[in-house]
Amino acid sequence: MLTRLRQPLLLLWLVSFVFPAFPPAVGGRVEAQQQAEKPMLRVEVNLVQLNVAVTDSKGHYVTGLRPSDFAISEDSIGQKIASFGEGNEPQMTVDPTTGEVRPEPNQTVLAGANVFVLFDTSNYMYHSFALAQDAIADFVKSLDSPERVAFYSYSRNLYRAAALTSDREQVLRGVRSTVAGDQPALYNALLLTLRDAGQFPGRKVLVIFSNGPDEASMVTPEDIGELAQSTGVPIYVVSTRHAAIDPVSAAIFRQMSSATGGRAYFTRSWHDQRIAFDSIRDDVAHLYALSYYPQPNPNRGWRAIKVTLHGDAGKKYRIRTRSGYRPQPFHFSKEPAPSP
Amino acid sequence: MKSSLCASVLVVALSVGLRAAPQSAVSSDAPRLPANVPTAQPPSETLIPGPLRSFQRMAGISTKASPEEILTLLSHEMTARGYQGAKPTEYLVQLRLYVHQARELAALAGQDSVIRVSSCEDAHPLLTLLGYQLRQGCGPETAVQVNDASRAFLTINSGFPLAQLEEALRQGKPFAVPYASSRVPVLFALNDWAEFTENVKSRSNNSDLVDVLLNSKSVARLYSALGAMDSDTAVGVRKSIGLPKLVRYANVLDFYGSHLCIRSGKVLVPGGASAEEAWAELVGVSPHSPGEFVNQLMTRDAGWLAAYFDALAHAGSDQQAYLTETRRLTRNYAALRGGDVVPGSARGVLRSGAGFWLLTTRLPLDSGHVAVPGDLQIWKGVFVHNRLSKRDREWARRAASWNDPQQMLEGLFALSRDLRRDGPVEAYLSVSEIDRRRPAQQRLSPEVARLLAEHFPRLGDQYVVFSEFPGLNDQSITAFLNAADALDNISLATVRANAIGIFQSVLGLWQILARQGQISNQDLNDSWQHAIAAFAGVQSPTQLFDAGRASLRVVMSAAAGRADLTQDELISLLAGPNLVTPAAQQTKEELAKKMSSVMDAQRLVSLDTLFALASGLGEGKANVEDLLSLATQLREFELPRPIFNRSLEDIQAGREKSDVRHTTLQTKTDMQKIIKSGTPKERAEARGRLAPFLRDTLVGLNYTYYDPPGAQMLANNAVFVRSHDYTERSSLSWEQPWSTARRVTVLGANSGGHLAGSLSGLPYALAELEQNFIVPDNVQSLIWEDFVPTLLTSAVVPRFWGVTQNELHAAALYQRAGEELVTAAAGDEKLRRVVLEILSDRMLPQRVAEIEAALREGRTEALLPRLLPGETAFLAAEFRRRHPAETEPGSATAKELDSLVRDYPAEAGWDRIAADFGVPHPALAHTYARELLNVKPLPMFMGYSSRLMAECWDSNNLYWARLADEQGYPPVMLNRLAPELTHRMVERLFATNLEDWMAVPRAMRETGDEFRQGKLVPLPKSAAPLLH
Repeated sequence: MLTRLRQPLLLLWLVSFVFPAFPPAVGGRVEAQQQAEKPMLRVEVNLVQLNVAVTDSKGHYVTGLRPSDFAISEDSIGQKIASFGEGNEPQMTVDPTTGEVRPEPNQTVLAGANVFVLFDTSNYMYHSFALAQDAIADFVKSLDSPERVAFYSYSRNLYRAAALTSDREQVLRGVRSTVAGDQPALYNALLLTLRDAGQFPGRKVLVIFSNGPDEASMVTPEDIGELAQSTGVPIYVVSTRHAAIDPVSAAIFRQMSSATGGRAYFTRSWHDQRIAFDSIRDDVAHLYALSYYPQPNPNRGWRAIKVTLHGDAGKKYRIRTRSGYRPQPFHFSKEPAPSP
Repeated sequence: MKSSLCASVLVVALSVGLRAAPQSAVSSDAPRLPANVPTAQPPSETLIPGPLRSFQRMAGISTKASPEEILTLLSHEMTARGYQGAKPTEYLVQLRLYVHQARELAALAGQDSVIRVSSCEDAHPLLTLLGYQLRQGCGPETAVQVNDASRAFLTINSGFPLAQLEEALRQGKPFAVPYASSRVPVLFALNDWAEFTENVKSRSNNSDLVDVLLNSKSVARLYSALGAMDSDTAVGVRKSIGLPKLVRYANVLDFYGSHLCIRSGKVLVPGGASAEEAWAELVGVSPHSPGEFVNQLMTRDAGWLAAYFDALAHAGSDQQAYLTETRRLTRNYAALRGGDVVPGSARGVLRSGAGFWLLTTRLPLDSGHVAVPGDLQIWKGVFVHNRLSKRDREWARRAASWNDPQQMLEGLFALSRDLRRDGPVEAYLSVSEIDRRRPAQQRLSPEVARLLAEHFPRLGDQYVVFSEFPGLNDQSITAFLNAADALDNISLATVRANAIGIFQSVLGLWQILARQGQISNQDLNDSWQHAIAAFAGVQSPTQLFDAGRASLRVVMSAAAGRADLTQDELISLLAGPNLVTPAAQQTKEELAKKMSSVMDAQRLVSLDTLFALASGLGEGKANVEDLLSLATQLREFELPRPIFNRSLEDIQAGREKSDVRHTTLQTKTDMQKIIKSGTPKERAEARGRLAPFLRDTLVGLNYTYYDPPGAQMLANNAVFVRSHDYTERSSLSWEQPWSTARRVTVLGANSGGHLAGSLSGLPYALAELEQNFIVPDNVQSLIWEDFVPTLLTSAVVPRFWGVTQNELHAAALYQRAGEELVTAAAGDEKLRRVVLEILSDRMLPQRVAEIEAALREGRTEALLPRLLPGETAFLAAEFRRRHPAETEPGSATAKELDSLVRDYPAEAGWDRIAADFGVPHPALAHTYARELLNVKPLPMFMGYSSRLMAECWDSNNLYWARLADEQGYPPVMLNRLAPELTHRMVERLFATNLEDWMAVPRAMRETGDEFRQGKLVPLPKSAAPLLH
C-alpha cells in the first residue's frame, strides 16, 4: 500500500485545498536512479502496508502474534517491519533494532479500520434493491465501534452518499437515501472508491454489495485488481447466486477479492447474508496491520510480496494477504481528499 | 426568425406556484419566471399525490425543477421513456404504483397532512403501507426489514425517511413527517383536459390530470408539445383547433411545434412577412388563418412539412431570407419530400434527419447565393458517384444535367433526409466550412476542392484542421491528402498503423502549437508541409522511425527555434508559451507537471531515450553499456497482470481487446540481444523496432494535452495510450485510422474502454470516456452523456495565453452591458422591441415571450439570472453593431465598454472576444476553432443525441471570464479555472431529460456562486489577483 504516512495529514489537506487541480506529491520518497547523461527513472516508493489474516487449519483467527513472528519479503528481498497492529488496536511503531513495538502508538493512524461500502444500485439489483439495502443496513450496524464507515452507491456513476464517518446513523441515512439507477459500472466505481480510500492512513477494507455484471466501465478488472493491491485495500464482495448468471463477473469477483486478500461470498439470497457479514467483521477485527519501507529494489514492475511466520507457526497456520504491488510512477494525485 | 417577437402573454404569478406547493421541497435558490401558464382564465392547478420531491424522484424529474415545470417535464418523460411500443416500461409501471402508494399514505396522514407514529407499537399500519415490518419486536434493537419488496422499493426510491423512522422506533420516540399532496400549475384550465380525464377513467375527480398523463401516451405528448410553445400560441392552437384534434398529431407537434408562433391572428413564418405568400402556397393555407395553417402544416406529408418549417425557423436571418424565396422554398421542399414520405418525420423518440437542420443552419451564402466550393462540376461529380440508395441513384441521374447551384441545393436537401457521415451533404458542409473561412481572394481552387470532395469519405474527418487554420493554403492541403494516400499504401499492416499514428501525432502537436500561436502565421505552411514531407516514401519500420523523428524536429523548430528539444522541453512548449508574468509561468509549469505525470503513469518511453538509443544503434562505436542501459527502459512497460488463471481462459475469450498485437509486441521487443550480438547492419536497422514506442509516446503527448479535468483513465490504466487502435476493421467502417476518434467499449465484456480511429476529435473522445468518472452531487442525477463531453471539450481546447487584461474585462463588460440593456428595456417600449428582436436570433419563441412578459411586468430581478452570458454578451455586441450611435443612457458599463473598445480595439472588439472565449463546434461546424455562433439551441437528433444542442451552448467561457475579472484574477488563470469550474459545473448538473436546457445555466450559476464564495479553486498566492 502506498500510503503517505510520512507527512502529516493536515498538510495533505492544506495542499489539496490550495492546489485542487494539481496537488504536488506529498509523502513518500522519490527514488531517483539518475546517471550522468542518462534519462532519469522516477519511481514513487512509499510505505507498503499489509493487512494480514492468520488462521489455523479450522479457519479460526490466530491472535497474539508479535512483529518478530512475521517475515516479509519483496521479490525475495527481506524487509524490516516499520509498524505493527492487531485488530482494532492502534498501530505501533516497530523498533528497527529489536524488532519489537515501541510503547507509543503511531499517532497518524487511528484505531479501527476504515470500511468503504459500495452498493450496486444498477438495474441488475432492481428486484432485490430493498432487500439488499436491509442487508447493508444490518452490516453497518454490526460493525465494531472503532470502525469508520463510508457509504457509496453506483450505477453508471458513483454517488458518495456518506463520507467516512464513525456516525452510524449518518451512514444509515445514506444507505436509505439511495435510488435505483441504470447500467452498472462497477470497476469505474471501484477505481474512485479506492482512490478515496488511498488517501486515508490506517487499515482500509472495501465491501461491495453487488449482484453481477459490469456493463459500462471504462477501466478493466485488471486495472482495479492492481490498484487495490497497490493501495493495500482488501476487497470483499457480498453477492447472491444470481451473480453466477454471468460467469465472467462471478469469476472476477472471486479472483479480485482473493488477490487483494479479501473474500467473495455468494449466498442464496439477500436474506441469507449473516455468515458473510460475520466473516467480514471478524476479518476486519482480526487483521494484523504490518508495514515496511521497501529495501532498494530495481524492479519497477510487479513486486511480489510474501509473508510467512517464523518457526512452527509457519507450518501450522495459513496467511492471507495481497500478493504484491506495482510501484507507482512519480506523478501527482489529482483527487482532493474526501471529507473525513 | 426575424418576426418571432412573441407578444406578451398573461401568466400566472410566481406566487401561485409557491402557494400551490406548500409542502414542496423544491429548491428555490434561483428566481423563477412564471411558467407557460396563461391567466386569460383563472389559474388552474392539479394535485400530485404525496410530496412533490418524492414524485420527482420517482418520475426522474430533477428536484431542482420548479413546480411550474413539473407537468411538462413529466409529459416529456412519458414520451421519452414511458413506453416501449405501446407497452408501458417498468419505469412507468413503478411510477403508477407509486402514485397509488402515495394516495394511501396521504390518506393515512389525514386532514393535517402529517404521518404520525406515536410509538413503536403503533407503527404497523404505516410499515405495512411502506412494505416493511418490525424485526425482533420493539426495543433498543428494533429494526425494520422488508416485508413486501415491491412496496419497499417504492418507499426507498421515493425517498421516504425510513432511516429516521427506524431511528425513532429504536429510541422509542414519536415519529412525524409532513405528507401533503402537492398542487402544481396546469397548462390552460383543468376543465380543458376533462375529456381526456374521463377517457382514462381516473380514480378520482378532474383534478387528477396526473393520471391522464400517466395513462395516455398521446395526451402526455400533446401536453409536452404545448408546454414547449409560448403561451399565446398554445392558447391559439387550442382555441382554433381544439385539443381532441391536436392530440391526433401530438407526435409531430411535439417534435416540430416549438417554433410555431401565433401573433395578431397569424402564424409568424420563417422569412417574415415577405415569405408569407410563399408559405401560403406551399402549405395550401394562408398563415393568416392560424388554425388551418397549423393543422395543415402538421398533418401534411407525415410530418415532413412541419419538420421543414421548423428547420428553416432555426436558421439565421440571412439563410431564412434566402431559403424562403417563393420558388426556392417550394423546390427545396419538393426535393426533401421526394416521392415517398414514409417513414414519417416524427416516429420514435428522437428526431431523424439532422441533415437539413445542419444544412439550413450552416448553409454558406456567397453574394446572396448558395456557395459552391470549387465549382459546380465537382459537386455534380460527387452526386453522380453516390449511388448507395434508391434516392441516391435518382439524384445521381438528375445531377448529370445540373447547370445551376440551385439544383445542387435541391440535391442537398433531398439527401439530407438520410444523413450519412460519408455522404454528399456532409462532404459539402465540411468543404464549405473550409472555404467560407478563407479570405475572398484565397478561396479553394477547383482542383483542391475536388481533391477534398473525392477524399472526403475516407479522410473527411481530418478536415477540421483546415477549417481551424484557414491559413493553410492549397499546397498544404494537397500535401496532406497525398501523404495520407501514400501512408495508406504501406503494405505491412503494423507499419501502416504505426505510420499513420506517428503522422497524425506529429500533426496533432503542430495543431496545438499553431493554436497557441507558437507557430507563427508566416510559418504555418512551411512547417506543415515540411513536417508532412518527412514521411515521403516510408515503407519500412526504420524509414518510419527516421521520418517521425525528422517530422517532429520540423515542428519543434518552427515553434521553438530549436529542433533538438528534450521531452521535458517539448512538454513545456506544449504547456504554453513563455510569458513573463509569475502567474503565467506558474500556470504553465503546473500544466507541464501534470502532462509529465501522465506520461509517467502511462510508462511511455521518453523521446530522449528513443532518440539516444536510435542514434547509438546507428553508430558503430557506441558504448554498449550505455545502449543496454537505455534499452532496459523499453522493458519498463508491462501489461497488467491477468486477473484470470488459465482454467478461466475460456470465459475470458469473449472479452474484447484493442489492438493487442501492438502492445504485446512491445513487451517482446528484445533490444538488448541485438545490442549485444547483432551485426552493425542489424543494429542500424533495429531502430525500426522503436517505431511503435515512438508512436505511443507521440500519441501520449496528444492525449495528455487534452486530458480533461477529473480524468482517471490516463492515471490509472497504464495501457490506455498503447491501446489506441489504428488497425483497419472492415466490419466496422467507422473504426478505421482516419475516422474521428471513437470510444470503444463492448457491453458486458468487462474489457474497459479505449479509443480507436484517428486523433481527430481526440478532445471529445477523451471527454466522452472520462465523463464516466465524474461524481454527480445529486443522488438521482447521472452524467449527461453527449452533452457533458462537449462541455469538457469546450473547457480543454481553448487556452487563454493570449488574452489580455483589457480583453478579460471587456468580456465581463459585454455581459453586464447586455444585462443593463435588458433592465432598461423594462421601462422603454422602443428599446424593448430592439432587445427582443436581437435576442430572438438565438432563442426559441417561448423564451422570447417569457422575457417579454417579464419585462412588461418589470420583473427584471427574476429575469436576469435566467439570461445566459452568451445571450447578454451577444445582445450588447449586436446592439452596438446595429445602433452604433445609441449608447444606453446613463449606463456606466456601456460607457466603459465604449471607452475600452475605442482605446483598445484589437483587444476589446467583439471578434476577438468571440475568438478567445468562444467554443469549438466540431459536429455543428466541422471545426475546433473557437467561435460564438449565436444560434438557437438545436434539439436532440438521432445519431447526435444532445451533441448538437451542446455545441449551441457557448456561455461557459464567457461566464468564467467574467468571474475571473470580478475576482481580480489574471487572464492566464483561466487556463486552470475554465477546466476546473466546468468540471464542478458538471458535478452539479441535474437535468431531467436530454433536452433540459435550463438545467445547464442553473448548474453554471451555482458553480459561479460557489466560486464567488471562495469555496472553489482558491489559487496560489503567487498568482495573486491583479487589480484593474
